[in-house]
Amino acid sequence: MSIRVAGLEFAYPKFSLRVEGIAFETAKVTAIVGPNGAGKTTFLKCLGAVLPIPKGALFIDGRDLAALKSRERARLVCYVPQEHDTTFNYTVSDFVLMGRAAYISPFALPSHEDAESAAEALEFVGLSGFADRAISELSSGERRLVLIARALAQQSAVLLMDEPTTFLDPKHETELFRLIRKLAVEKKKTILVTLHSLEMAVQHSDLMVFMKRGEVVAYGKSAEVFEDSLLERVYDMQMKIIDWEGRKFVLR
Amino acid sequence: MNGQNSRTKALAVFMLVLPLVLFFISLSIGTYGISPRGLFQAALSVVSPASHPEVPAAHRDILLRIRLPRVLLALAVGAALSVSGASLQALFKNPLVNEYILGISSGAAFGAALSLVFLGRAFPPQLAGFLFAAVAVGAVLLISGKAESHFISLLLTGIIVTAFFSALLSLVEFFASPYVLQALFFWLMGSLSLASWKDLYVSLPLIAAGLVVLYLLRWRLNVLSMSDEEARSLGVNVRREKILVIAATTLITAAATAIVGIIGWLGFIVPHLVRMMFGADNRRVVPLSAAMGASLMMIADDIIRGVSSFEIPIGIFTSLVGIPVFLILLKKTRKVWL
Amino acid sequence: MGPEVKAKRCGTGGPPKLILIILAVSALLAPGALFPNQAQTIKDRLGRTVVIPPRAERILSLQPEVTRILVALGVADRLVGLDYFIGREDHLFRILHPGRPGLPIVSMPDESVNKELILRLDPDIVFASPTELQVPDSIQRSLGIPVAALASMGSFAGLLEEMELIGALTGRQERARELRDYFREKIRLITETLGSIAPEARPKTYLAFWSSLVRTPVFYEPVQTAGGRNIAEHLLPSRLGTIGTVITVEQILEWDPDIILIQGSFLPRERQVTVEGLLRDKRLSSVRAIRQGGVHYTLGFWYWWDPAGVLVETFYLARLFHPEKFGGLDLEKEGNAVYEKFYREKDIFSKLIGALALHEWTK
Repeated sequence: MSIRVAGLEFAYPKFSLRVEGIAFETAKVTAIVGPNGAGKTTFLKCLGAVLPIPKGALFIDGRDLAALKSRERARLVCYVPQEHDTTFNYTVSDFVLMGRAAYISPFALPSHEDAESAAEALEFVGLSGFADRAISELSSGERRLVLIARALAQQSAVLLMDEPTTFLDPKHETELFRLIRKLAVEKKKTILVTLHSLEMAVQHSDLMVFMKRGEVVAYGKSAEVFEDSLLERVYDMQMKIIDWEGRKFVLR
Repeated sequence: MNGQNSRTKALAVFMLVLPLVLFFISLSIGTYGISPRGLFQAALSVVSPASHPEVPAAHRDILLRIRLPRVLLALAVGAALSVSGASLQALFKNPLVNEYILGISSGAAFGAALSLVFLGRAFPPQLAGFLFAAVAVGAVLLISGKAESHFISLLLTGIIVTAFFSALLSLVEFFASPYVLQALFFWLMGSLSLASWKDLYVSLPLIAAGLVVLYLLRWRLNVLSMSDEEARSLGVNVRREKILVIAATTLITAAATAIVGIIGWLGFIVPHLVRMMFGADNRRVVPLSAAMGASLMMIADDIIRGVSSFEIPIGIFTSLVGIPVFLILLKKTRKVWL
Repeated sequence: MGPEVKAKRCGTGGPPKLILIILAVSALLAPGALFPNQAQTIKDRLGRTVVIPPRAERILSLQPEVTRILVALGVADRLVGLDYFIGREDHLFRILHPGRPGLPIVSMPDESVNKELILRLDPDIVFASPTELQVPDSIQRSLGIPVAALASMGSFAGLLEEMELIGALTGRQERARELRDYFREKIRLITETLGSIAPEARPKTYLAFWSSLVRTPVFYEPVQTAGGRNIAEHLLPSRLGTIGTVITVEQILEWDPDIILIQGSFLPRERQVTVEGLLRDKRLSSVRAIRQGGVHYTLGFWYWWDPAGVLVETFYLARLFHPEKFGGLDLEKEGNAVYEKFYREKDIFSKLIGALALHEWTK
């Protein structure tokens, strides 16, 4: 499932995004990093067509995303937000079931198969026992997992996760990355995540994209592209990368 | 856990059956005292007049032409306003939204009044009601713009539009001849007393159509109750489906308001109560809101008809009955949101 | 039931007898000086205590019934302003004053009044209808002009008291008394012709007034005087200041009236409730009045009464309820005579019947 960005432009009143000619690899985890306001979230939302994009800008599996119907688009790519605003207190299973929306016509109800897909997704993230719990009762870590389960139920080949690990404690953070890796390996999903933590990014991703002020500054394999001078260019401050027992750490 | 589940199920079944039971009870309530047996005979004589010659014509007329249309109207309006409230709440992701806040009720009332005053009773007021209800909600959406998910701006815009149409309604009253005004008297107060088959022939199908659409969309409402971004990401054509839901609720509200005037609170209270008791899944909320709304309306109307030969505006009544019930339940479940 | 009248007397000394005689004679001779230099305090129909000036030269009447009485008493020239109904809608006035009377209209159907205009018109007193609850106090408080909420409230005694009060106010007590006696004489004629009627012989009558099938007055004396029975009589009015109440269609069916009277004081094109409409209404098909064709137009209230009109109406109803006793009655002739007595013009009744298409009255 290849993702190719031909020429993506998106303008806010005070900020514009411009990304040209970048392609992402299938069944790999790509981390998108950069300083605040670099446009990571905007880029991700554009990739998921959550923000309106013009025709000819983005191709997934050779198909122009902007030309597809919402349903078909959702079967290809899924944008997972960081947080969900719990206005209505759905149960976990009802929540995950919503991921099947792309496969259910507006006037129909979820089928037995849909319910099964949702249950499987829940099991994959390890929350089977939580099916009847209300969303508001979950911790933020558990809620992130539910969001991922819903994305899983959607069965789209591409998953776009917006800062999935921010605000999680170290244990949950690590577990989440393990899950993401599992998704890429077992389910062959193409996964893009935006991250703040450089160390986590370099450790858990296959490829990295560096963004600054709405543009892609660097892109490549994590091990190769991660170096001091790049970091300094992107973050406008001196940083030093230290290698210790095979793991990379960033000193500021 | 299981005990609670089966209890909830039993409650749900009770709630769905209640309107049917109340329907028959309501038919036996009225100023003209008819025993249940007499009512039953009257019903039989309607079907085959020849077999029951002893049934007084008055009984037949009361059953068929006075009580039946009125109880049906109560049922329909109660279900309609409750379901429309529930749908709008899901759509605008806020449990405080209802058709009154969005200006739909006021627009419908203005349109219907305009039609009644200038086109007379011969022309169905539902048409003009729907037209101006659509204008009202369109204005609200247009004015609040992209911030339509932000409740405060939506609320403010709704209040402004409601106030505008209320003012227009007053203007219509001002220019109406005193005779037409007197005839509008009840309708403006919000009353089921004007229920006649002629009105129902137009409104009932419209309400039924709207209800069917919203019933079919009941699972979809779950998805639409997500943020616009999430809904889009889940593969929903948000704009198109939103318009569909709003069109259906506007149709229902206009059809109801054109006959009974403005009845507030129902679209707000009933879905709340239902969510408190049965959870937020709209597959349950929609049908149960319809059932509970219908029941509430029938009970309210029964009390009005049964207690005295006067007519108390039902809008006042639903508030008097609904609000305390709501407060009691709110305390009991101790839930802040739903 | 009627307004209580308390006169305040000036202090009395002990003058010599001659001066007393001179005073008494001058009191008799001076027209309209029954209560010399005294303001009256009355209680109006809303229970408000109002101080009426001894004389009123400038009168603003927002109550059509009062306006009609003023015309009948011959003091229409003292009017400084009208309410919207007399000014625009009243059929009687169109007949009495074919050109518009030319007085400013001060109130609108939604009970709003133009206070600035009132101030400019500077009336000595304002008459309002008791159905407009807030208006009397509102005007009196803002402008300091006495406002009295008067109405007959459906009773003859009330109507006559009203006439006498206004007669006293305008110095036309003679005329008022003349009309009052005429009124009483006509009523006496009717009741004598009727004789004593057993309660069962009084037709059960339902009055559908105010453009609605279910709004009815709880008290309407003409029906009673004409030998009928208002079946809504025992009910309470909806609120203070009105004598109407709201019932249900089922209630009508339960009462099963012999006769239904519809307010016919609206022009035919403005009628919301019509005889044909009721006869066709399937809900009412079992009612005796419908089955026997006993549905008729009567004058009814049109913003209360027209004193001539209600008198003729009573005749009409008497003939309707007890035709055998009033066979010789020529209603048109009688009607024109009554109207001429009150408004001093010929053929008003015939014109009114023509305008309202109440042809059944003059059959």
